[in-house]
Order: sequence, then structure tokens, then C-alpha cells
Amino acid sequence: MPKLVVKNLRKVFGTFEAVKDVSFQVEEQETLCLLGPSGCGKTTTLRIIAGLEVPTSGEVSLDGVLVNDVPPQKRQIGLVFQDYAIFPHLSVFENIAYGLRVRKMSETQLRTKVHDTASLVGVENILDVPGKRLGLSEMQRVAIGRSIALDPKLLLLDEPLSNIDAKARERMRAELGKLQKEIGIATVYVTHDQLEAMTLADRIAVMRNGLIEQIGTTSEIYDSARTLFIANFIGSPSMNLIDCELVYNEERAILKSGDFALDVTEFADTVKGRSKEKELVLGIRPENISLDIEKTDPKAIEAEVQLMEPVGAKSIYHLKIGGLTALAKGHPMPEVNVGSKLWATFNKDKLHLFDKKTEEAIV
Amino acid sequence: MTKTIVRYLLLIVVSIWTLAPVTWMVSLSFKGPTEWYAPNLIPKQPIVDNYISLFIPTNPIGGSFFFTSITEPITKPLINSLIAAGLGTLFAVLVGFLAAYGVSRYRAGGTFVIFFTLLTRMLPGATFVAPLMVFYSSIHFIDTYPGLIMLYTAVTLTYAIWLMKGFLDEIPPEWEEAALLEGASPWTVLRKITIPLTKGGLAASALFIFILNWSEFLFALVISVTQVTTLPVQISKYVSAVGRMYGTEASLGLVATIPSVTLGYLIQKHLVTGFTFGRIR
Repeated sequence: MPKLVVKNLRKVFGTFEAVKDVSFQVEEQETLCLLGPSGCGKTTTLRIIAGLEVPTSGEVSLDGVLVNDVPPQKRQIGLVFQDYAIFPHLSVFENIAYGLRVRKMSETQLRTKVHDTASLVGVENILDVPGKRLGLSEMQRVAIGRSIALDPKLLLLDEPLSNIDAKARERMRAELGKLQKEIGIATVYVTHDQLEAMTLADRIAVMRNGLIEQIGTTSEIYDSARTLFIANFIGSPSMNLIDCELVYNEERAILKSGDFALDVTEFADTVKGRSKEKELVLGIRPENISLDIEKTDPKAIEAEVQLMEPVGAKSIYHLKIGGLTALAKGHPMPEVNVGSKLWATFNKDKLHLFDKKTEEAIV
Repeated sequence: MTKTIVRYLLLIVVSIWTLAPVTWMVSLSFKGPTEWYAPNLIPKQPIVDNYISLFIPTNPIGGSFFFTSITEPITKPLINSLIAAGLGTLFAVLVGFLAAYGVSRYRAGGTFVIFFTLLTRMLPGATFVAPLMVFYSSIHFIDTYPGLIMLYTAVTLTYAIWLMKGFLDEIPPEWEEAALLEGASPWTVLRKITIPLTKGGLAASALFIFILNWSEFLFALVISVTQVTTLPVQISKYVSAVGRMYGTEASLGLVATIPSVTLGYLIQKHLVTGFTFGRIR
């Protein structure tokens, strides 16, 4: 039985429809990430699950029980807020013990529980520090500790890394991932950072304008984006998207955009079956364009290097291909300079084609 | 450097501005009737008769007898003031806090109701006197404690709501929501999270309202006849056939500041956080 079931959730604030129709499930021990740009309704969805907002319509079930009418204090859900909401007037110990005290747990039991939780999240040596003196990383751990001390059925995290500078974020993301594995509670994680989603989630639900555009495992979302928006949103550097026209030349199908042309005869039947439009968008991720100094593949296209960015073991090449610019990611080639001519081969298995009007994926 | 000098000069001016009348009151309260109109700050013949006459109305001051309508010592007006101002403040703070909480957290009443509360302060109090008299006499509230307390609560409620709304707005709702998700009931959240975090502001608001009530004169004068005379009304009664008794008025004025000053001193620690508007984060 799924831990959490959200069915046809809708939330209207005045005239603004924040959440239009959202349905998903979270399995035991699974981490589902709600990913989307700000204002897409992901935080509202989270707050509805927590019981802090009342949905306009739709259902939320925990462990198979409908909880729409259960107030937040009785839902047994842990929530880590964006700015952690550590009680400033209480010590770390009292912050973690808060929910246990509310439940009137005996003092000895409470001490054991707080110490166990504190050592799990790594704050056992700062238990006496008052909440207002904590650093961000400590706050994050205490916030998680506080929300898991009650053994919640579900853990919700609302953009827990968004207030942290880039460098610390990387470290805290890794720590969070490790913690998550140790805790093993079904989790819903809200973020606008695709990298966070890719590294921390088992499955991702990409949200936009109050709707889920696609839900799937991280590799499904990455490799077979269902819409142009997702293709553009996921991945860093993002996917090359080229506006093209599909032209039939005798038996061959060719995507044309100015001087750029790509033979896509193998997809012609699929395209015909799914869209009558001629205006298409070609999508290809930078790592799926391979570069060669010699023309080894007969289908390779000539490209000129405009800029190179070394990123660790890989390099990002800014290419000019037949009047278009595209990014390619590959091994550094010391002999290549700005202005060098290279031969680019598009990996056809990883090609995406989108209908320009509906923005939906065809291939 | 010049900045510091300007700052000190300003502080000195403000200090003189506020302390000069108080100093004059202290001086006046130790003077005999012959010196009441004299410009000297240090009394030539210091006496404590002014203070004695507060408790023994027939006591001569500096040798001369003053015949007034006052027959009772100030103990009753003092107790009246404590009851009216104290309970008025308590109710205003209680009701005001809950109202402010509703407005701050749930936008209760929308934007209009909170603005509407200001209307009661947009007219001079004297405007309300006549209708209030008619209303109070029809419900027999004239010269009674409930009458005075209810009026003080109503009049200061606006301040209570607006002041405390300011302090509550400073508290991010996430703290309360976090406590709620920890299983605390809304009342527990209020008691364990919201009030401890806003106590500085609450104390400052309470003191401010107490001072307003404590020094209120117009309504007290209108409502009280014999039973609920408050200290400000009592001060106004020190009039004799030959003129106002400035020394006695000054001495009672000084005595009357004691409760407010003591209260302010006791909650000094909270006032600092209160008047700097929270800054708890």
C-alpha cells in the first residue's frame, strides 16, 4: 500500500488557481521530489499534505486513510521548513524534545529519544545551544531531528537548501542524502533546483502552472522528457533546442534550420503518426553530441568552436553549426582552439523531437 | 566627531525638555503657599505639608488653612485608579492580543475591520461624552467600576490591537506551524511559542496602555461622581476659595507617577526588546 496518496488536488486562492489538478503516490521509504519553478504550486501542494492549507477539492490519504479533515497536529507528518523554523527561545534539546513533551512522554524515555535522534542527525554535542545561536547547517540538522523525533509517517522538506550559498549547499546536499538513507522515511521533497532533485530523489514530479507535467524516475525524466518545458528545465548545461522545419526530400526526411540540416529518416514514420505539424523543435543534450577532429562518421556535421569551458574532467564546447549555436560536452581536446573546425555527430538514440505548437514530445 | 557632539546636544535638549517639568513639580511639592508663584527652584522654607494634606485633607499647609470640597484622603482614588486602569489594561491586552492574532494570522475581518478600529481614535474623546452619558445612565453604569473598566478597555483596545499586531507580524508563522506539526494544539502553540516570543512586545504594549488608562482624565471626570473618582480627577479637585493648590497638586502628581515608574522599571528588560520592535531573529 502506498504511504501517501494525493488525488486530484486543487487549491484556489481568491482568483488564483495555485494547484489545478495534482495526483501522485509515494511508496514506503521512497523519496519523491516535486520539482518546478517558483509559483508552480509545489509548496502549496506540500502545505496541503501537511494540513496547513485546506484544499479546494481533492483528497490526501496517509496509510490508506483519508486525512482531509485531520488537523495538522494529528497527522503525524514531519515538515522541514525553508528557513527551518527552529524555535529561537528553546535549546537544541528542547527543540527536538518539543513534540515529545507535547505528547507527555516520560522524562527518561524523552531523554533517550532526544539523544538517539540528536546523534542520528549529528547534533549531540550542541544540545544546550539556544536556537537563535545556530548556524544554517546546524539549523538544518536540528529541523530534521525535530521532525523525525516523533517517528512521523511521512517527512516533508520544503526547499531546505535554498537559503544556503552554493558551496555549502553542495556539502549539505550530500549530508542530506546520507541522512535520508539512514532515516528511511517516505519523503516528499520540494525544490526548484533540478540538481537537488536528480541527486536526492527516487522519483521526480515536474510541476508547472499548478499541474504535474511528468512524473517518473530521475533517468526517465532526464532521458525522455515529455514536454519542451521539462527538456529545457532539466539538465545542466541544458538541452540544445533547435527550431526546425521537417522537409521531405524524395525518400528522406530532413530537419532544416537555415544552413543546418539533419537526416531523420528513421523517425519519419513516428513523426507522421504523431503530429501533422512541420514546425518541430529538435532537442539534444550536450553530452550526446560527439566531437571529432577527423570526419570519421559520414553523417558528421561540420562545426566551429566559439568558446570552450573546462568543467573538471569534461569540457563544454560552444559550437557554431550551420548558423546555429549549440553546446556539446566531451573530453578535453588540447589541440582544439577557439575557431577550430570539428565534426559533430548527433547520437540519434538520444534525440528528442517536440511539436512546436503543443510543446509535447514526439520522439 | 561633530556627529557625536550633535547627538549629545540633542540628548541634552530632550532630557531638559522632559525633566524640567518634573523637576519643577518636585520643587513645587515642597513649597509653602507663599512660594507657589515664586520663580526659585529651591524652596526657601521646604515643607512636607503638601504630602501630609493628601492623607489628612484638613491639614494646614505652611500655616494656612485651605477650605476645599475634599473630605477624604487619596487612598480611595488611588485604589480606584489601580482597579480601573489595571483591569482596563488587562482586558484591553487580553482582547487586543486575540484580535491582533486573528488579524495577523488569519486576516480576520479583512483589511476593513482593522482600519475601522482606528476610527474610534480619529475623533476627540469629548465628542463621545454626551452620547456616552446618555447610554451609561440608561444602563446604570455611571459612577461604577464596570462602567469605568469597560470604557477604558474599549478606548485603549485600538492601541492594543495595533501595537500587538505589529509584534505578532514580526513572528514568522512557520514557527507556529512547526509546533502545530509537532502535535501541539493551537492553544498550546499560542502559550508555548507565540507568547514567549512576543513577551517583550506584549509587556511594552501593556505598559503603554496602562499609562494611558492611569492618566486618563476626561472620561473619569464625566463618569465618576463620588464612588469611582480616579487620581487625575482627584488632582483637579484641589481648588480652594482663594485659588488652585499648586503644591498639593504637584505632590499628588508625583505620588501618582510611582506605579507607572515602578511598573516600567520592573519590565525594563522586556521594554528594550519591545520598543526596538522585536528583532528576535
